[in-house]
Amino acid sequence: MSARQLLAAEGGNEFQAPGTEIFEWGPLWHGAPSWLTKPTLIVALSVIIVCGFFWAAFSKPKLVPRGVQNVGEVGYLFVRDQLARPLIGKDGDKWMPFLMSTFFFILVMNLMGVVPVMQLPAPSHIAFAIVPAAVVYVLMIFLSIKEQGLVGYFRNMMFPPGLPAWLYVILSPIELLSNIILRPFTHAVRLFANMFAGHLIIAFFATVAYWFLFEKLTPLGASLGLLGFVMTIIMTAFEIFVQALQAFIFTLLAASYIGGALHPDH
Amino acid sequence: MLAEAVNVLAGDDRITGSLGAVAYGLAAIGPGIGVGIIFGQGVQAIARQPELYNTIRQNMLLGFALTEALALIGFVVPFVHP
Amino acid sequence: MVRPAMSKEGQRPDPESDADHRAFANAAWSIPSYLLSGMAVYGGLGWLLDRWLGTSALLPIGVVVGLALALYLVYHRYGR
Repeated sequence: MSARQLLAAEGGNEFQAPGTEIFEWGPLWHGAPSWLTKPTLIVALSVIIVCGFFWAAFSKPKLVPRGVQNVGEVGYLFVRDQLARPLIGKDGDKWMPFLMSTFFFILVMNLMGVVPVMQLPAPSHIAFAIVPAAVVYVLMIFLSIKEQGLVGYFRNMMFPPGLPAWLYVILSPIELLSNIILRPFTHAVRLFANMFAGHLIIAFFATVAYWFLFEKLTPLGASLGLLGFVMTIIMTAFEIFVQALQAFIFTLLAASYIGGALHPDH
Repeated sequence: MLAEAVNVLAGDDRITGSLGAVAYGLAAIGPGIGVGIIFGQGVQAIARQPELYNTIRQNMLLGFALTEALALIGFVVPFVHP
Repeated sequence: MVRPAMSKEGQRPDPESDADHRAFANAAWSIPSYLLSGMAVYGGLGWLLDRWLGTSALLPIGVVVGLALALYLVYHRYGR
């Protein structure tokens, strides 16, 4: 869809690789409110899908799970055994609702990048990666101050024990910047950059295939177009993997920050 | 596109575009391979000697930090020398 | 609770490994932000000094020095 639009817009005789304009979506239809764009639609759909799925899975839980409840329980066990218990500790089960909804919300938003018709991972707009990261960040600071006290938090953060006093002057700014500013930044950017680059790569190979196989079919270009076609399929499979992995990593970092706030000794 | 590539190879045209991005792409190759080697060999070492888990893990982290530093230098160089 | 077999096999055996695992995840994921922050602090300092003194060499020096300091910090925190 985006490739066809692009080629129509170019109109030239030379192959043009897709740029960042494939991420710019106007209002859905003419006269729609300006906030109602494709990414916001995708986010709203993801919310509905996640809520609907877990409503179907857990609204009437049976002792012997059947059907969709099975899937929901496997997802729950995965998040609990891989993330909550190892990274937060014994009180990890208390944080399961938060981790669970974070993981599945981001997973569904990411997977929208390979769903036909949608084909745009919502976190490829950095705003949709910043907001969950900001929620985790505020939660982390709140929990740290609650558990360790304001002074204790900054002491644990900025002054690792066992260094000569003059070195603290040099190293404490690094610690402060790393923990207060760069942590949420890298947290958001990891998700955003992976989704952005992945979508760009798929769009590039799809454009290559479309251009050389349909738009300008020549004997020499056909092999290139075929390569683009095959690479589109391979990269789509790879993207599914990366999308699931990035949702996992985002939740892992959230759990790790919460665990670090609750157990400052590590 | 081909003509541009030939021009660039022949050197009779100035290279334009975001050269910093190209430079970072090239600079990321080495650290990419390095990080892969470090974690691959680290996992192998842990699989062979699980009782040395802590030592291997720490050395893995240090090696990762050193390699990552190279990648980050590559990331900063385009800002330092625009 | 649900599947005792699954939670036992393949998991780390000793009880203190939870804290270990936590420390490892924390370390592995915060190393890049430490390095970036070292470069940002001392590179930024070098950049400001460059602007003030009219030189041009202090920014790269600051970046490398900050990177070295951040590496030392990582070594001190997680390497021993």
